[in-house]
Amino acid sequence: MEKKPINTKQLVKDIFRHVFIVLMVAVWLVPIVWLVATSFSAYNGRDMTNFFPQEWSLIQYQKLFTPDTVANFPAWFMNTFKVACACCVVSTLFTLMVAYATSFCDFKSRKPLMNLAVILNLFPGVLSMIAVYFILKALGLTNTHLGLILVYSAASGLGYLIAKGFFDTVPRALCEAAKLDGASQARTFISVIIPLSKPIIVYTIISSFLVPWMDFVYAKMIMNSGISDMWTVSIGLYNMLDKALINQCH
Amino acid sequence: MKKILAMALALVMLFSMAACSSNTPTPSNGSNEGQPGNQGSGETVSLRVWGAEEDQALLKDLVEKFKQAYPDQTFDIQIGVESESKAKDDILTDVTAAADVFAFACDQLPDLVAAGALLKLDENMDAALQNYAKKSLDDVKNENSQGSVGSATLDGSLYAFPFSADGYFMFYDPSVISADQAKSWDTLLDAAQSGGKKVGMTLASGWYLAGFYYGAGFTTALNADGTTSMDWNGTSPSGVTGTQVTQAALKIAAHPAFMPVVDGDSSNQLKSGSLCAIISGCWDSQVAAEKWGEGYMACRLPSFMAGDKEVPGGAVASYKLMGVNAHSKNTGWAMLLAEFLSNEESQVARYTARQLPPTNIAAASDPAVAADKGVVGLADQSENAYLQSAGGKYWDPVKSFGEQIAQGTIKSDDASVQAALDDLVAGVTAPLS
Amino acid sequence: MKANTMAPKPVSLERDLTSSGHFFSDLRTAVVKGDAFVKLSLLWWGAGYARRKQFFKAAVMTLLEAAVIWFTVAFAFQYVPKFGTLGTVQAEQIFNMETMKTEWNNYDDSFQILLFSVLSFVVWITAVAVMLKNMVNVYQLQRREELGLHINTFKEDVGTYLNEKFHITLLSLPVLGVVMFNVIPLLILILVAFTNYDQQHMPPTALFTWTGLTNFINLFGGGGLTLTFGYSFARVLVWTLVWAVFATFTTYFGGILLSLFLNNKRTKLPKLWRALFIVTIAVPQFVSLLLVRNFFADNGIFNGMLTSAATALGIIAEGTTLNFPWLTAPGWAHVTIVLINIWIGVPYQMLIATGVLTNLPVDQIESSRIDGANACQTFRYITMPYVLFVTGPALVTDFVKNINNFNVIYLLTQDVYTTTNQALANSQATEVDLLVTWLFRLTQDYYNYKMASVIGIAVFVICAVFTLVAFNFMLSGDKEGVYN
Repeated sequence: MEKKPINTKQLVKDIFRHVFIVLMVAVWLVPIVWLVATSFSAYNGRDMTNFFPQEWSLIQYQKLFTPDTVANFPAWFMNTFKVACACCVVSTLFTLMVAYATSFCDFKSRKPLMNLAVILNLFPGVLSMIAVYFILKALGLTNTHLGLILVYSAASGLGYLIAKGFFDTVPRALCEAAKLDGASQARTFISVIIPLSKPIIVYTIISSFLVPWMDFVYAKMIMNSGISDMWTVSIGLYNMLDKALINQCH
Repeated sequence: MKKILAMALALVMLFSMAACSSNTPTPSNGSNEGQPGNQGSGETVSLRVWGAEEDQALLKDLVEKFKQAYPDQTFDIQIGVESESKAKDDILTDVTAAADVFAFACDQLPDLVAAGALLKLDENMDAALQNYAKKSLDDVKNENSQGSVGSATLDGSLYAFPFSADGYFMFYDPSVISADQAKSWDTLLDAAQSGGKKVGMTLASGWYLAGFYYGAGFTTALNADGTTSMDWNGTSPSGVTGTQVTQAALKIAAHPAFMPVVDGDSSNQLKSGSLCAIISGCWDSQVAAEKWGEGYMACRLPSFMAGDKEVPGGAVASYKLMGVNAHSKNTGWAMLLAEFLSNEESQVARYTARQLPPTNIAAASDPAVAADKGVVGLADQSENAYLQSAGGKYWDPVKSFGEQIAQGTIKSDDASVQAALDDLVAGVTAPLS
Repeated sequence: MKANTMAPKPVSLERDLTSSGHFFSDLRTAVVKGDAFVKLSLLWWGAGYARRKQFFKAAVMTLLEAAVIWFTVAFAFQYVPKFGTLGTVQAEQIFNMETMKTEWNNYDDSFQILLFSVLSFVVWITAVAVMLKNMVNVYQLQRREELGLHINTFKEDVGTYLNEKFHITLLSLPVLGVVMFNVIPLLILILVAFTNYDQQHMPPTALFTWTGLTNFINLFGGGGLTLTFGYSFARVLVWTLVWAVFATFTTYFGGILLSLFLNNKRTKLPKLWRALFIVTIAVPQFVSLLLVRNFFADNGIFNGMLTSAATALGIIAEGTTLNFPWLTAPGWAHVTIVLINIWIGVPYQMLIATGVLTNLPVDQIESSRIDGANACQTFRYITMPYVLFVTGPALVTDFVKNINNFNVIYLLTQDVYTTTNQALANSQATEVDLLVTWLFRLTQDYYNYKMASVIGIAVFVICAVFTLVAFNFMLSGDKEGVYN
């Protein structure tokens, strides 16, 4: 029976804890809820006075999925999905390869390479946009999805830090054991380390998959022929949002 | 280490080989290379057109008509989407990858010409035009309104074909404001206040704010080296000082019935129903009709008092132009297409589809077109509509100045206003960095 | 363990017998002491291998050398000679009435010259490095033959690429990608900072050329430019740093705290809560940012909600509207942006922190609890050091990323924030601009690539200084072994 006082104190603490969490979640989701609610609104343009739409309707979704001359959401979705899949495969491979090489292999140029990677990360990405565009143009890859994939994933090896941090916490004894069993480095990589790295692989896959959906600056610059069927979702959305949220007219 | 370098080297060179083969001074722009010397009969002419999103269906029709107008020639014409107000950005990033024919707003003309993106319509073009379309450039110039042709001209040469008038004027709700009250800012604002509504205007914009100064006789000009000259901190030829104009603007902005509108937000403010008058253009005609009924009125901007002189409300005249890419692979045919897309029938078709005021004089005098509220407003304003000529350094400083007026952060005594104007002019006329 | 057996072993395990471990001294030895074929390798890369009967390698190296020479003659010579002037032939056109086409002369495109020259330089430098390393390797082969050690067959050589030299196999493609799409564009844009590439000098119509340090002088206030450029640079720099500090640390600690909170044993349904937070990541950043921008707009929803709430509570009179300039006034905008960034960044950091905390040494925590430590002490002395170790380098990278955090600032303020500071406006900057957004605006809207490059270099220098200081502070002692 002496457990009871502790129980109520714990109970109160638990309730507060959960109330706090619910509050946080609510704050975090408010704009998303607004987004979803507005998408069901029949009102064209920006409603500034009501949080929830005055008139609920599915008309915006109808408009979205019926391709018209410009807004072709299904095509955009497929384009972006294609690019994202390819991108996530390449990026994950590159990131894991670089992280493994810098964490497990000891070679003379390891530290210099790592320092170089740090230095390269210090330059702002938007600086070299125009040069990347002309490199792609020289390769004939502007206005192609392959070009987009390259832009998003070719330099992904530079983002190896988190994966390397994870690999650093893997016990070296495992590698030693594998070596004693006669496995080559390649074998160790494929059969021992990769199965152990599931959380980091998931993280890398998710973050690299999301990149093409979110970027519109590079996408807009590379897909510049004006053929809207080639666009990715981000270009299309940016175009639409530009018109809907700030009605740029003339 | 050596092997990384070796493999990397091999692959880099492979890529540059690919680049070498595809990199010639005139990169592919989607056309089939034919043998020179044919009068356009054998080969297919490949063209790309860029137009606004709302124009896509219209452009498809017009392109079909173009093909029928020149049956001896086979075409392959692709239509792409490009915002007219942002055309310059995409074109200047890579001129050779831009479309052969594109629509743009006239304020982008100087930049496009400087970058070599617009084909000069000179005697050669004139000859080609006469050869195929049986009309000369002078005919085109005479067919369209003087202001529109002026906006497409730089240093005496024509660089594009005008097809639509795009300036701003004032819409108002006749149930709140009477035609007399709309004539000056003072009466307009008082009437709005008693009606419980507001008057909206964008001040933080080099396009709208300039109207106050141009109306008073001040000017801006684009110099040959790309800098801008501006005289707003002095006295205009009509005897009004820049200080007086600014003080008048400050007074207008401080009035409780005045609502400064964020550039581009006019439609939303109109829809909110809190306005009874707005400085806007044809793009808002439909919204005005929805909000205020079909009886809504369009007229010129109100006048204001600068010192003891009454200054008519000025506005910047703006037009939409159809230009030809100087780096196009088929400049001749591109020019013919551009001319076709902006001739009288096309302008009429455009008006029918989208109620865009034509610049073609004959089309505009058609009774149905002439009765259009947007056309009426533009016509009323045209007496005080000025072509704007300004360089790159003009826009941001003036935008900020307009915002300061809108927020009232400039004190209205003479010294402060003069100082603010001097800062503004210093920024605008600065040499290019 | 040094082996002195004569049994066959792949070359690299006995590097210590044939080299001194330093590249340049090896090179000197190779040139001086090499036999005829080694010296011949200076000209014909495959010579040394052919002599030692490694014919495959000889063939490979010969092909490589031929490719480099072909590249130089067929491609590089078109552009590199013009590198010094960046082109002299102005573009001219004539219209051909017969074909209805415009014909251009063989004009110089300054940017193409720059691009392909840089590419050529990179290829040449790599070729020289390969050649020198080749010399060293070939000399080692000679030594091995002299010592009677085993010379690898081709198959054995290939085998080393999966084992001792696996890092080379692993790194080649990523490095190539980085070189093509990161290093070369960067080099080009750094060089642009020393030219006059801007709207008045845009290829293909106009040429641009080298101007040396003029742009740097202009940025830092001298040279007859408007005084405001240097002034704007100083102000934008200050805000960039302040922002980076706030943005990084608020989201970092926020993410860790939230993750700990949710990870706590007494929390029910942790997966559900985590999933809900992750929903905000799923929405593309620019969509959510544009949304939030309108959410907080003047006369927008948030102000509307506050007005209704305040009216209902009787704080303000009926009919007045509350209109806080969340994103349009200087001080307000700064705070709002940091808060919105917390909203964007915490779920992401929480995800990372959750991953990191799975490997938290629980036994340490258990023992500390037994020893009587409370939650705060556990956090301070066990959890935080561990998390800081694993994510420390990433934290520094995050700080640098936030200095360059283009999206958040640009999307939240681009079309809504107008500065009332005339001096800033005169240089196309605003109070909420980061160096990168200012750079972007100069590039996109004004095509002022040269000043944008200068600002980019300035950003790099700032970030480099910070990173060096931070890394030296943190990695004073290589702790990598501690947690293995």
